[in-house]
This record gives sequence, C-alpha cells and structure tokens, in this order.
Amino acid sequence: METTFRGGVHPKGHKELSRQVPLQRYDARGEIVLPLGQGIGKPAKPTVKKDDEVLVGQIIAEADGFISSNVASSCSGKVKAIEKRRTISGASLDCIVIENDGLYTKVEGIGVREDVNLLSNDQIIARVKNAGIIGLGGAGFPTHVKLAPKDPSSIRYIIANGAECEPYITCNDQLMRTEAEGILEGLEIILKLFPNAQGVVAIENNKPEAIAAMKEAAEKRHVANRIIILPLKTKYPQGGERSLIQVVAGVDFPVSKLPADVGCIVDNVGTIYAVGRAVVYNEPLYTHVLTITGDAVERPSNFIVRNGTMVSELVEACGGIKDGVTLKKVLAGGPMMGFAMSSLSVPVVKTTNAVTLLTQDEVEASEAQMTNCLHCGRCTTVCPQGLLPQLMADAVHVGDLERYENKLYGLECISCGSCTYVCPAKRPLTQIFKHTKAEIMALKRAKAGGNK
Amino acid sequence: MNTAINISSGPHVRDRWTTPYIMGIVFMSLMPATIVGVVVHGLHAFLIIVASIVAAVGTEFLFDTLCHKGKSYKDGSAAVTGLLLALSLSPDTPLYGPIIGSVFAILVVKCCFGGLGKNFLNPALAGRCFLLISFSNSMTVFKVDMVSSPTPMAELLAGRAVNVTSMFLGTSNAVIGSSIAALLLGGLILWAFDIIHGEICFSVLGGFTLFIALFGGQGFDPVFLAANICGGGVVMGAFFMATDYVTSPVSKLGQLIYGLIIGVLGGLFRVFGSSADSFSYSILMGNLFTPLIDMYILPKPFAYRKKAIAIQRGETARKPLSQRIPKSIIVIALITLLAGFALGGVYKMTEDTIKEQKERAAWQSYQAVVPTAESFRAVQAPDIYGQIYGSGFGRVMINEAVIGMDANGKTVGYAISATSSEGYDGNITVSVGISTDGSVNRISFTELHETPGKGMLAADASFVDQFSNRSVKSFKLLTGSAQETANGIECISGATVTSKAIVNAVNAALDFFQNAKGVQ
Repeated sequence: METTFRGGVHPKGHKELSRQVPLQRYDARGEIVLPLGQGIGKPAKPTVKKDDEVLVGQIIAEADGFISSNVASSCSGKVKAIEKRRTISGASLDCIVIENDGLYTKVEGIGVREDVNLLSNDQIIARVKNAGIIGLGGAGFPTHVKLAPKDPSSIRYIIANGAECEPYITCNDQLMRTEAEGILEGLEIILKLFPNAQGVVAIENNKPEAIAAMKEAAEKRHVANRIIILPLKTKYPQGGERSLIQVVAGVDFPVSKLPADVGCIVDNVGTIYAVGRAVVYNEPLYTHVLTITGDAVERPSNFIVRNGTMVSELVEACGGIKDGVTLKKVLAGGPMMGFAMSSLSVPVVKTTNAVTLLTQDEVEASEAQMTNCLHCGRCTTVCPQGLLPQLMADAVHVGDLERYENKLYGLECISCGSCTYVCPAKRPLTQIFKHTKAEIMALKRAKAGGNK
Repeated sequence: MNTAINISSGPHVRDRWTTPYIMGIVFMSLMPATIVGVVVHGLHAFLIIVASIVAAVGTEFLFDTLCHKGKSYKDGSAAVTGLLLALSLSPDTPLYGPIIGSVFAILVVKCCFGGLGKNFLNPALAGRCFLLISFSNSMTVFKVDMVSSPTPMAELLAGRAVNVTSMFLGTSNAVIGSSIAALLLGGLILWAFDIIHGEICFSVLGGFTLFIALFGGQGFDPVFLAANICGGGVVMGAFFMATDYVTSPVSKLGQLIYGLIIGVLGGLFRVFGSSADSFSYSILMGNLFTPLIDMYILPKPFAYRKKAIAIQRGETARKPLSQRIPKSIIVIALITLLAGFALGGVYKMTEDTIKEQKERAAWQSYQAVVPTAESFRAVQAPDIYGQIYGSGFGRVMINEAVIGMDANGKTVGYAISATSSEGYDGNITVSVGISTDGSVNRISFTELHETPGKGMLAADASFVDQFSNRSVKSFKLLTGSAQETANGIECISGATVTSKAIVNAVNAALDFFQNAKGVQ
C-alpha cells in the first residue's frame, strides 16, 4: 500500500479523457500576449519598446525586485504594443503584445548543450533566474528564490512533484513519460546545490506508465542512490506541497513556515524540467506543458505550448467545442484549485497547466441543493490540515474572527477545497475561508500601518 | 463568444452526498427495526409510524409555507424525526400521541430554533420526553393480550429476571423499535455507509456498561449487563439518537467525552433512579453539553500537535507512554472514573445511615399502629420479604412483619410493612397494625410522594381512618358509583391509582397475616 497523508478526498479523475494523448508541440499562429506579471510577486519591467524586433528566447522584461521573474519572448517578430490586456485571471494587466512572424527564429546559443559540471552553484542559480522560471504547479513562486534558502546544507529532501492529483490534468503525466531523463537531469542539477539532500520523484499510482518511465530513466542514469521514485496513493490534495512533505519527510508545519524551514524543497516536475533546460541548454522558460480537456472539447489533448498563446487558438487545435453542446464553464486549471474563466480570448501564462471546458456547472447545481449545516463532520475528516471547517464557518457566521484565527487556526487553511467538495449541505466553505483569510490579513496590515 | 459561461469560486466539483442522501440512508437503516416492530406489534404500530411521519413532514411543510422558509420539508430530516419518534413509543399509544409528539418535535424543537441543523436537542427525543411528561398515563401503557403489563425494563427495575433473548429479538413487551438485533443491523448500515464512526456509540455503550457493572449491584454478570443494555432504549439511543449530527460535538475527543457523559448519566439514572425511560433524559442532557464541548474541546491542526512540533524541531525519539497519550484524555478518563466512584461511594457510605433511618421510621410507624406495644420482635420470613407478594395485589412487596409485646412479653398486636410500587409517583410504603383478634388497628405511611392535593390526600385522616378498627378478610376499593359494602374503602377523588395501590398493599399485609400465622 502506498503511503499517503491524513484526510483528503477522491473526486472523479476524468483523466481518461486525455491521459493517453501524447504531448504535441503547438506553435501559435496569431499574436503572442505576454503579461508582465505571470506568477507571485512584482510584475517584471519591460526591456523592449514598441516596434522593437524580438527573437525566441530573448528576455523582454526583467525581474523587478526580489520576488519577481524575467519574461522571455516565445516567438520572433515585432513588439506591437505594451498595453493593458485581459488576462486569464480576468484582470486587465500590462502585457507585451508581439506580432508573431511565424518563423520562430531563436536567439543564438539557445538549445546548445553545455557541460554543467563546470558551473558553480551561483552560476546555476543565475541561469535559473535569467530563464524566468517560476513554479509551474500553479502558485508561480520564483524558482531561483526557492533554490537559494539561507542554509542549503539543512535541506534533506528535494521533492519533484509529479503527483498531479487535480482531476482532468494529464500534461505532467505525459511529460514524465516522454521527458523522464530531462526531469532527472534537472533534479540532479538541483541536488548539486544541496549536498545533504535526497531526491524524491513523487507520483500518484494512477500513472503507472509515468512511474515505469521515471524508474527506467533513473536506472539508465545511475542515480538510483540519490533519487527515489515514490508512488503515492491517488487522493486529492496529494500534490499539495504540505501533503507531499507530510508523506516524504513525515513533518507537519504551520503556514507561517516555509518548506525549507523543515528541510524540504518541492518543485513541480515541469519546473524541474525547465531548470534542466535553462541550465544545460541555456533556454529560458518560454514553453511549458498544458492540457486542454473537459467534456465540451472535441479532442482533449496535451500540448507543449508557447507562453502567451491564446486559449481560443488551443481549443481550436483540439477540434473546438463539440457539436451540439453548450459550454457552461471554463476553468484555468482543474476543478478543485482552478479558477473560472470568463473568456477564451486570453493568453496562457507560465502557470496555466490546463484549461478545462465543461458542459455542466456543478456549482450552479449544488446551489439549489444547499441546506443548513448538518454538523456531519465530513469536512473535518477530509481536511488535510486537521482543521474544523464547520466550526470555522460558524465562527465567521457570528463574526468571531478572534476565535477563527486563534482557537480554530483558520489561517492554516490552504484553500484546497476538500471541505466544500464533500459538504452534503453544499455550503461554500472554501469561499468563506478565502474571504475571511483575506479580511484578517487586511485588518492586520491596517493595524501594522496604524502603528507606524 | 461564450457569453453564457458561468463564473464561480472554486472548487468547481461536488461529491454526490447531499442532505437528502444522508437522511435517506438513516431512514433505510431504521427499516429493519420498523419491520420487526410492525410484524411483532401489528397494525396499530404501523398506524403510529405512519401518523408520526405524516405529522412531522406535514408540520414542517406548513411551517415552511406559512413562514416562507423554502422547502426544507423535502430534505427528509422531518421524516427521519417522525420515524424515530414512532419507534420509541409504546405500540399501544393512542394515535394522538405520535401526532402531538411530532408536531412538538418539529415545530418547537426544530423550526422555532432555526430548522435543520440549528436545534439544540434531538427533536425526536425531545418529542418523546414531552409526551412522557405530559401524557404519562397513556404513553406508558403496554398491553399483552389486552391486559396492562409491565415492560421488561420495569421488571428489571423492580429487580426481577427478564427474558434477554426476547428483548434482543424485539418480541418483548416494549416500544415499537425495541428489536436489538434489528437496531444493530441498522447501526451496521450507518457505519457501512460512513454516516456514523463509532466514537459516540461505543463511548455511550462503554460508559453505560462500566457504570452498571460497577454500581448495578450485580458486578460483571453478563446476563444482567445484557438485560440492561438491551432494555430502555440504550441501543437505539447509542446508535440513532446520540449520534445525531446536529446535537453531538465535532471533534473525536469531544465525541468521546459526550458519549461518556451520556453513558454514565444513563447508568446513574438506571441504577439510582426509578424511571424506565431515563436513557432518553440522559441523551438530552448530553445534547445540552454539546455547545460547551464544541467551545472548548478543539483539536489542534496537525502542524500544531505536540508530535508535529517535536519533529519540526528535529526530535524523533519516542516519548514515554504518559506523554504520548494526550493529557486531556487521561484527565477526562480520571474525572469520569472519579465522579462515578464518588457517586457510588457516597451511596455506599450513606447506605447504612439511610437503612437506619428507614428502620427507625418503620419502628416509629409500628409504634403508631400498635400503640399498646412496648417492644417489637421481628418475624423471620426471608423467602417472602422483598419479593413481589402473592397474586392479585399488583406489584406489592412485604418488607417486614413484627410482633408487638407489652412490658411482660405478652403479644398485644402485629405490624406489617408493605410497599406498592404502583403509586402514581413511585413507591408507597404502609405499615398495617393488626390486633390479636385479626382486625386492623390502623395504618400509617412510611413512604408517600403522591401528587399534592390529590394522591397526597391519602395521608388525611378521612382516608386513613377508614381502615381503623375494622375486621375484614380484605378491603375493597369503591370506585365510581359502587355501593358501600362491609369491606368498602372510599376512593380518594381524582387519585384512583394511589387509592388502589394503598388498598392493595394493606390487603397484601392482611393476606400475609392470615396465611403466615403459623410462622409466628
């Protein structure tokens, strides 16, 4: 039996839609739109201006501050505009719009293999930073910051997250099958930075092909002593950072601490692959893997896609929307952690690992079934953090934020959505907690500001 | 394009569990007990169940409609309440019983407190207790072949042996849903469908069994324990009433504490109380503790538990046992045990004093009913004392008989103490003084707690004096328009039950005197 964490839920996977569809490269035909802020942190500063000619892999915006990351162009062509455009989250953000010439001429030197043994640790991190790599699992934290903790010797585990516990998404499954060696190469480079660390590739056991491919690659590269391939039980949120650390290192830690504080660094397999490409091939992050799926799509597919490609173009590449169905909901990401999109005419960013197009909206259906809370305690059983969601919701209901924060540890909620998923009374618990956490943080900031 | 797509906050999927789904499973899990109840007790039991469910759902429907509160009657919880209430009633309850009970349960206990999930007491149990208190005569009627007869629980409380097998199968003379086998099957269904998780059921049953074993007076006698668990709604309470989501705590530790409170209270009421329905009250009291438990018994998130903190600090060595078991569990267990022992201990310590007091009161009453006696000598008849006496006197026990003597040791009269447990409000103990010629001197009460203004009038001279200085074989209670006879005793107006119990006790004493002359 595979190891797993406490709590969790078993939503229907729907991975059969696309899990056997091999990755295919998709080159955008239309314009490329690159938001300056693609992950957590400050948006990057553009280094190009309107009418400049750019090449594939050219850095067109530079990190502005500590938590910020570079943006590279994913096509060759002319900068058409730097203006506000609607992005995948629905917000209008500053974007660099490039007129795609369709030639994809690369910057010289990109994609040429180098001997990495000569690189120092600082040089490795500098290359990762230059490549503009951020966490591709969804949060989008700059990887070069994550790879430079205060004390590298205290890191015990580098966890490559291939769990892919989110329903529908299969692109990392396919990436592990086809680029197993590339992922391991990236992981080996990261392990060079951390002398005491063990590499762990964590994969849910619903991906037997990926597990086999990774094991084979590990044997081939003779790294079995440094890297273990760890199959995990299929359960959501198995791929959550905290769930993985719970399983691998046996540590639970509060949200006020970082994984590095307990000796762990967790990176998505896609991110680790990008690190390998950046360091060995000097290739900035301008492509990543993505799944277009859902019951509304004609041919659900896995793509290697260029950053800034329009979602609508990708949906067309999948054969478009099935005939005779109505599109009810579009999600950036999967149904548990993903967010609803209002339009398909937005560009994919680095953190977009899936677009799920559905003909049914279960949220809408559940609203009609909503009753008072039964106090059944199902939310308590599934919470991977060990919280008491029903009492937290009660505390919010009566406006007792003090109890929410200090007695019920409501800020420890990781918004995984498990409680909302299982709630038989169909209460919108996760939404309540997201809102309340934001409210408490805002109050704290206001208080801190007032004391100055 | 796609202007119609929906926007909402995640997660965007829901599992198939809904409130009606849960209620459906609970309803289904009660079906075995319902079927056994209807098969054993017949059509009237079926009508009670139907009336109760219809009244419950109807009340919620009316409330929803009149108060514009949505369509909560559709969620199935009212039907479950109605069924649970019906199953906890006697199969001989008049049909207005379940209807009034369901209306009270739904309207007052549930809807008036905000509907589903907001009630602080289990509605079905509250409805049942409301009926027991308000209509105690008609609610506790249990008939066998059209004759009122005691339930196994009443028999058990009176200290008699009961047929555990028939209680287990549900063929005994108890409430409709009394088949333990069927209830256990229902509990198994709930557990299999993940509706209940065992913490509450087993702490209720565990606390109850332990208390009965320690203080029930018969130790770990398996038959006695089984009889106690199988009777008085303990199993139904443990699996279907105490586990009610709304009125039980959230955390596992809270649930254990809650279950222990119910179990220990249930045991306490069973051992030291007199009501056969005490378990319902102990669950309601447990319900009242729930908000308190939920306020203070809050498990910490995984990351803040002691073990997690130790690992975060890099400590991995196993700790001694005393530190591994959460301190709170030890404390709670100790408190429960201490409270139990303290109660039992106080009872044991005061047992002798109470006995002495009772004896003194008895001797004083003997003195009152045989005034010419200077001293008394007890008559030895251990086979008879403390047992239900003869037949035709109801549940009457002869406690003791004494011979009164004057200063010279000459017999001047007899006094017999008899207790009827069929008073309106518990036991009635009476001392009957009999003179040497067999006529009744007079009677005196040593135990009488009847309704003031009604049954308590028995202590008045107008009633008591009727017995004085009469020479009869037995007394006859005159009820209604019955004619005065030579042995007639006039009934206290509005207190037939009390009058009957007293006359039975006196008649038993007379019968004992007449038949036991030889053993003097």
